[in-house]
Amino acid sequence: MIAVLFDGVAFGLQLSLLAVGLTLIYGLGGVLNLAHGQFAATTAIIGARLIDGGLPVVVSITAAVAMAAGLGAALDVTLMRPVYRLRGEDRVLSSLLVTLGLAFAIDGLLIRFAPFTLLNLVVPGPAIVLFGVPMRRGVVVAALSAAAVLGMLVLVLRGSRWGRAVRSIIQDEEGATLCGIDPARMRRSVFALSGALAGLVAVTQGLTAPIGATSGRDLTVLALIVTVVGGLGRVSGALIAGVLLGVVHAVASYAVGAFVTFVLLLLVAIAVILLRPTGLVRSAV
Amino acid sequence: MRGYLSGGGPLVATVTVLAGLPLVIGDSRYLMTLAISMLVVTAYAVAFNLVFGRSGQLFLCLGALAGVAAYGSVLLADVVGVPLPVAIAAGVACSGGIGAVFSWVAVRRRLGVIFVGIVTLAFSLVFTNLLLGGRALTGGETGLLVEAAAGSWLRERVPAYYLLLAVLVGYLAIDRWLDGSWLGWAFRALKDDPVAAELAGVDVVRAKVIAGALGSAMLGLMGALFAVHDGFISPTGFDFGDIDVRVLVVLAVGGIGSSLGPVAGAVVVTAVDELLRPLGQLRLTIYGIVLIVIFLRFRQGLVPALEGLARRAGSRRAHAHRLTAGR
Repeated sequence: MIAVLFDGVAFGLQLSLLAVGLTLIYGLGGVLNLAHGQFAATTAIIGARLIDGGLPVVVSITAAVAMAAGLGAALDVTLMRPVYRLRGEDRVLSSLLVTLGLAFAIDGLLIRFAPFTLLNLVVPGPAIVLFGVPMRRGVVVAALSAAAVLGMLVLVLRGSRWGRAVRSIIQDEEGATLCGIDPARMRRSVFALSGALAGLVAVTQGLTAPIGATSGRDLTVLALIVTVVGGLGRVSGALIAGVLLGVVHAVASYAVGAFVTFVLLLLVAIAVILLRPTGLVRSAV
Repeated sequence: MRGYLSGGGPLVATVTVLAGLPLVIGDSRYLMTLAISMLVVTAYAVAFNLVFGRSGQLFLCLGALAGVAAYGSVLLADVVGVPLPVAIAAGVACSGGIGAVFSWVAVRRRLGVIFVGIVTLAFSLVFTNLLLGGRALTGGETGLLVEAAAGSWLRERVPAYYLLLAVLVGYLAIDRWLDGSWLGWAFRALKDDPVAAELAGVDVVRAKVIAGALGSAMLGLMGALFAVHDGFISPTGFDFGDIDVRVLVVLAVGGIGSSLGPVAGAVVVTAVDELLRPLGQLRLTIYGIVLIVIFLRFRQGLVPALEGLARRAGSRRAHAHRLTAGR
């Protein structure tokens, strides 16, 4: 049972990482990115291709994640530009439809040109024994790096000038603008960060199991579920919801099987939207 | 708001052309199959237009709603042994009921558009996974052969085409009738200003639930009839990535909220889709780009945009004519 729990936390930390990227841009720009998982899939493919091309693994991965950050920033300054001119409900709806289109565009390209490319990062060595439970090295490295990135993110958001600026925009964009913060510039950096986070998820996923062209759609849906359960736009909500759902996922897959587990996660998301639209976790930002 | 393409005349003309189509291509199995799938997509788009275009509810579970009725009626008829018409009616009632519940809950809980979108998207994924998981009943990924109506006229292309066309004409008639009724006024008022509309006495719950239920039932009926005609159902036929995307593209091309838009969009998209078939998965990319371009540049859809262009050109010509006549 403890093994299932560990697996759940390891998967949950990756879910948190995935959802934080989505929730940040919602909080900051009031937009959704339904191509978030596709960004991760693109990173995986590029990384795998670079490794195949003979580059060292670390260099390939870094380059691929940097590319994902660029993808995020590019989305902000191109497709999202006209979307920002809309207000309120129109803006979210428009971002949803446009990024849905982008998701399909990326899916089509990846499946057409790299149907069999998989990012599979193997960490050699024997299993690590934790509290008497043997864990695969890849899984442990993935969980630890996800936790490290999340920890750093929280520290930066809490402590740095940049983090304070981001949080002030999430709370009150007009007020932040009056204080001399440029929301457009902040938005661009957060979009880049969001892309990079999606890219990092591709890396941690690649450490656990091979990830390829068709993973994008599933990752987007998972990100959406976690984001909604944590409360759209709430970073700490996404963190907690990710780990929570990761454990639910592991326990349910162990007990009832994969199809039912996915259905269960979706039903949790539906229930949260209907019962507590602000998210399961009560918190500020 | 109403352009001449959404008037009654072009609609009658379009239906006449569609009715005459089998006289020309009736001998070709390939073209008739294509024509039938075009009718199905058109009907889905008309239904989605009612739910999203007119009443502003983003249902991202079109394939699932069609699938509920399709699987429901096929299983009722083949496994339980209920007579086919009764089975179809029950399946359609299921779809309509689910749609009504979505609308009712959404209005009651005051869910924003995206939350309705996320809930319904989650529902369509739940539906697909239940189909895949319930292998014993649904045949899982491989699908099911439909035994009901095997060997009957429903399985022949030309008669089935006319049946589906009749259903589609019914949908278009319902759509036009609703647009002129109190519901049409209610929807326009809600779109302009929800608060003012409610203060003016628009029954928001009733209006949205009627649209949601009716649209979903329309999706269900077309899904069930097509399943019975085709003789085979599988999860891919009701997949979000297949049905919902196509309908979104059709509606984007044809224009959201107009009567004839879905028909025009479906004809264009079916033809282009067939021409692009050799591209394989790249079609998904093209659809994606089309969605992006249309939603960013012409928020009303291509047909109304072209209509606007034509009208402007027409008025310029009339203006020039008046100038020369005055001289």
